[in-house]
Amino acid sequence: MRVVVLVKEVPDLEAAVKVTGDGSGLEVEKRRGLNFFDEIAVEAALKLKESHGAVTTAVGASAGAGVEAMRRAVAMGIETPLLVDDPALDGADSLTVARALAAAIALEPADLVIAGKQATDDEAGLVGPMVAEILGLPCATRAIGLEVEDGFVLVTREIDGGEEVVRLPLPALITAEKGLAEPRVPGMAGTMKAMKVQIERTDLATLGVQAHPVLPVAAYRTVGKRPPVKMIEGEPADAAAELVRLLRQEAKVL
Amino acid sequence: MSGLYVICEARGEEFRPATYELLAVARAITAATDGEVTAVVAGPEVALKSKLEGLAHRVLALTAPELTPFSADSWVDALATAIEAGSPRAVLFGEGGRTREVMPRLAARLGAWALSNCVDLRVSGAAAAGAGSVEAGDSGATGGAADGAALEVSRPVYGGKAYVTNLVPADGLLLAAFRPHSFDAGMAPAGLTTAVEEVAAPVAASRVELVERREGGPRKADLTEAAVVVTGGRGMKGPENFGLLEDLAAALEGAVGYSRALVDAGLAEHAFQVGKSGKTVSPTLYIACGVSGAIHHIMGMDTAKVVVAINIDPTAPIFEYADYGVVGDVLQVLPALTEQVRAATS
Ligand SMILES: Cc1cc2nc3c(=O)[nH]c(=O)nc-3n(C[C@H](O)[C@H](O)[C@H](O)COP(=O)(O)OP(=O)(O)OC[C@H]3O[C@@H](n4cnc5c(N)ncnc54)[C@H](O)[C@@H]3O)c2cc1C
Ligand SMILES: Nc1ncnc2c1ncn2[C@@H]1O[C@H](COP(=O)(O)O)[C@@H](O)[C@H]1O
Repeated sequence: MRVVVLVKEVPDLEAAVKVTGDGSGLEVEKRRGLNFFDEIAVEAALKLKESHGAVTTAVGASAGAGVEAMRRAVAMGIETPLLVDDPALDGADSLTVARALAAAIALEPADLVIAGKQATDDEAGLVGPMVAEILGLPCATRAIGLEVEDGFVLVTREIDGGEEVVRLPLPALITAEKGLAEPRVPGMAGTMKAMKVQIERTDLATLGVQAHPVLPVAAYRTVGKRPPVKMIEGEPADAAAELVRLLRQEAKVL
Repeated sequence: MSGLYVICEARGEEFRPATYELLAVARAITAATDGEVTAVVAGPEVALKSKLEGLAHRVLALTAPELTPFSADSWVDALATAIEAGSPRAVLFGEGGRTREVMPRLAARLGAWALSNCVDLRVSGAAAAGAGSVEAGDSGATGGAADGAALEVSRPVYGGKAYVTNLVPADGLLLAAFRPHSFDAGMAPAGLTTAVEEVAAPVAASRVELVERREGGPRKADLTEAAVVVTGGRGMKGPENFGLLEDLAAALEGAVGYSRALVDAGLAEHAFQVGKSGKTVSPTLYIACGVSGAIHHIMGMDTAKVVVAINIDPTAPIFEYADYGVVGDVLQVLPALTEQVRAATS
């Protein structure tokens, strides 16, 4: 069984983000790592390597970056890293990224593709299901449980208002929700291996991928900071009464 | 390309509030730019279509049997056909699990732009804010007639550290998912004459077999939808005190959320976790009880309209993200607050 994990390199959750001068650009501090949900996806793939002898590949798409994420995936235990590295992927539309990843996956078709539920930078949750659609694969999002049966996967997934169990014929694509697997911390051997690993690279032209146009940006802006907090003093009963009064009369939300 | 489609999603026997919000902003925009508002109902929602009377120019009801119960394969197929046939300039969805199964696949199939997490939509150049009005006529960006105006759509990125506004050209197709409470359902007058059109064309069957569905209590669905969210953090100590959160939430007709500290300690379910690795909520009122205000938590609630923080530590970071703060023991403040809310709203 061949399992492909989609790994995205994203800025650290703590990375500073600054809107430049006139709102025309965004400066993001260069502290990067493997996306939170992709780490869970990697772990789920490694579980299948251990239980079903799955062969695992990590695929990423990036413009001149992505190595950090690849190394992390390899350090955890992924065997082959493949990076679509192309300047046209800089700020690319999600559909371009999905086409690139789909084309890379198609080079050596997978039985199961695992993406993250969403990336922590755009929180879009678009690319996984897009890849499924492009490759014509059935898709289950937000997986919190995974079992392989003969030619099928049984997926437990979160849905609005509860959970469900679904059976998908392979090949299929799933996206990983928190709870699917607890990512391991790479050991010394894995880390050493990751430092030396040869990352295979390709680009959009080689894959025959056409970019989807980028949606023009009108402006970036920083978050409209809330006005300074209004502290409410007094014993619990008095503070509660004053809070309710403010919520009704000033904030008008009650 | 003209007109706007709104995908009308229900929870049980009633449409999500987001449905009415999106129909309202769609009416405001089409009033300013011409074009029609089409309310799309499919499968289980078809039965509720009379509730849309007056809210759209047209109700498009997709009635193929494969659409009930919901399955992404069939819905993507049916919606793709409907969108291609009507060629709207934008299709508006409410953020949620179902949207996130359907919208990206539709975008891939149709070669459209898709944006998640949107919080504002307006005609380019119109001076309107979030739940404000969309003003007619002024199409700043294109300088042409209003019906050729670009749309502007805004959303937070990097966990809300910045907002980006995209410009959608008049000849492109946009699929956009909006967070609940992004618009005021009363922002544009209703009272339209609504034509109903039924489409029964066959659609693809689902390749995904549903084995079992476990719907949780009503609270589960309510968290991202609720107008009021009361969240407990480690300061709540343990489940023996969670009833205090539930009481306040009940008095406010809201939902209860938890910080990751409580989820990781096994005291609450992940489905109710608010924050970066949990749910993103965008309610009108957010009340953080014994939550310290770690950035990962803030990322899940910072688009709330009004934030209240109750914390025993006056230096807790949560106060930097709050409109109102109470320094005190949650175990004492919460019962007092619930009592005051009951008195004020009864
Ligand atoms: C990758 C990643 C993702 C994460 N995702 C999330 C997420 O999605 N959601 C999330 O919440 N966190 C998330 N976290 C964790 C986050 O960093 C914090 O650890 C967590 O939010 C802390 O939870 P807390 O505020 O409940 O607990 P604490 O930080 O321990 O704060 C407890 C607060 O309660 C106050 N308190 C104590 N007793 C009382 C009392 N009697 N009355 C009133 N106040 C009292 C204290 O003063 C303190 O401020 C994530 C972390 C990482 C690294
Ligand atoms: N550039 C990328 N390279 C590899 N995987 C990606 C990339 N972008 C998105 N993905 C995958 O798609 C998921 C959702 O991403 P997003 O649509 O950006 O929220 C991520 O968790 C990854 O698994």
